Amino acid sequence: MAGLKKPRVRGEKKYDSTAYLYLLPAFVLLAVFTVYPVVNTVVTSLKLDYRFLTGDFVRFSAQHYADILNDATFRRACVNTAFLAFICVPLSMLISLIAALLLNSVKKLRGFFTTLFYLPQVTNVIAAGMVFAFLFNTNFGLVNMVLGWFGVDPVAWISGVGIAKSAALYNQAYARCLFILMVYSLWSGLSLKVILFLGGLQNINPQYYQAARLDGTSRWNIFRKITFPLLSPTTMYVFITSVITAFKAYSAVVALFGNSYGPIGDQSKMMITIVGYIIDALGDYLSPGAISIASAAAVILLLIIMALTALQLKLSKKWVHYK
Amino acid sequence: MNAKLVKTINYFLLALLAVVVLIPFFWMLTTALKSENEALHTPPLILPGTPHFENFIKALTVAPFLKYFFNTLVVSACVVVASTIVTVLAAYAFARLEFRGKTALFFVVLASMMIPQEMLIITNFMTMAKLGWLNSYQALILPYCVNAFNIFLLRQTIMQIPEDLYTAARIDGLGSFRYLRKVVLPIARPTILTTALLSLIWIWNTYAWPNLVTTNDDLRMVSNGLKNAFTTSTGNIQYELQMAAATLVTIPLIILFVCLRKYIFAGMAKAGIKG
Repeated sequence: MAGLKKPRVRGEKKYDSTAYLYLLPAFVLLAVFTVYPVVNTVVTSLKLDYRFLTGDFVRFSAQHYADILNDATFRRACVNTAFLAFICVPLSMLISLIAALLLNSVKKLRGFFTTLFYLPQVTNVIAAGMVFAFLFNTNFGLVNMVLGWFGVDPVAWISGVGIAKSAALYNQAYARCLFILMVYSLWSGLSLKVILFLGGLQNINPQYYQAARLDGTSRWNIFRKITFPLLSPTTMYVFITSVITAFKAYSAVVALFGNSYGPIGDQSKMMITIVGYIIDALGDYLSPGAISIASAAAVILLLIIMALTALQLKLSKKWVHYK
Repeated sequence: MNAKLVKTINYFLLALLAVVVLIPFFWMLTTALKSENEALHTPPLILPGTPHFENFIKALTVAPFLKYFFNTLVVSACVVVASTIVTVLAAYAFARLEFRGKTALFFVVLASMMIPQEMLIITNFMTMAKLGWLNSYQALILPYCVNAFNIFLLRQTIMQIPEDLYTAARIDGLGSFRYLRKVVLPIARPTILTTALLSLIWIWNTYAWPNLVTTNDDLRMVSNGLKNAFTTSTGNIQYELQMAAATLVTIPLIILFVCLRKYIFAGMAKAGIKG
């Protein structure tokens, strides 16, 4: 059916002007809440010392971009965001791929396990973050209890004791917080990736496997020579969408570490992310320049995400022939 | 025998992973049922002595949590209804109608899909402040009423309805709006349900935007209420109540998801993961 193209009626295309009425609500909303904000954010990021209440600014300048790039807090935000994107995402992909391979190899209970693995995705981020903070609680948390069974003394996971004075203690506290963030992101990132990988695996033509089995190919070689290459478009898709999601991380960090992005006693916003940096600057909107700084950081975020999206579009075209 | 062993190992590993995924839910639930002393017991107790179901009542009354639930329900209901109407109309126009500028307008929709919400909140916040709409339902609802991804998803579905059906209906004198109502809506219902569900999950769990535009406790939503309540003035957290509240916030969506999961999974399959 799909291949049969109906011959076009002779004459010019018939336009239906009522179409604009159908599109009106969507485009009014898109114009006000998406298109205008993008333009306005770029413009605002270039206004030096923009004042929100009066709309005054000194002149157009890229000064706020330079300020941000020199700001230690912004650099910390970039490091933390990169940690989520380039360390947590690949790890989480590995676990998800294993889970999907396991799911694909069983028939009974597959639906049950798939549903179960999806639960973190529908769980409120704030609730989940608070639960994880409590799991890692020094005295009342499950993690230290389990460690205790193996004779490990309670670890003060989220603790800022002494970090203001000692760089070594600061780094230890930072490493512990990164670990918690990683555990959380592995848990919450599993859901979507498992579903996507499972979909990719089920798209592979089973004849390849039948042929390989007839040839007596080992399991590892089947994975290496058939599954992995044929899954690569899915893998790339999962990687880039997950990296984009990681670049938008914010709520989870606030839920885990609080509004100051770190343990009590930390003044440096240890665990801040790029979006956290934007929101903090925005929260200070009455002071001159704050909104420009938020905007400049948002433009940087947009550029990163656009680059990743472009990469994805390019790669998906390149790899389409695998199908 | 080898295949059987492999199968057993597979099930064992899946069960192990399932346990790990469930641990946070278990810890949330068991803490929610503990008394204050049990929640603050070292080493922690795995299960409470007797379940304290009254914690759920307490959690709802200590903070104005019923109010937060009410606000979340109002906002989600409005967003789901409004965004569904907006999405259906736009998706139908893109899928079936011919008009000048179609390609350009559809490009705007596609481009909007990749703009991070996190960037938009700056200007949207300024817009709301200038309109005097901070601390209002409009501020919570309006920016969510359009979702480019949903328009895209539904357009794909409507395009799969054979065009001949449309041509035949038009020849029979059915107007394009009646065709939308009588033919498209019934066929596309599963996808519409998917987009509605995705919107609902999104609103229920959203935190940054509501936190920015509402400072008034009367207008807070569950995520924000959850974040700010249950810390006493001395900075001690009432863990059992916090976990009870977290349970109350989590459970409705989990039930909804388990009942309607086929629509969510179907939507993800349709989203064009062309493996």
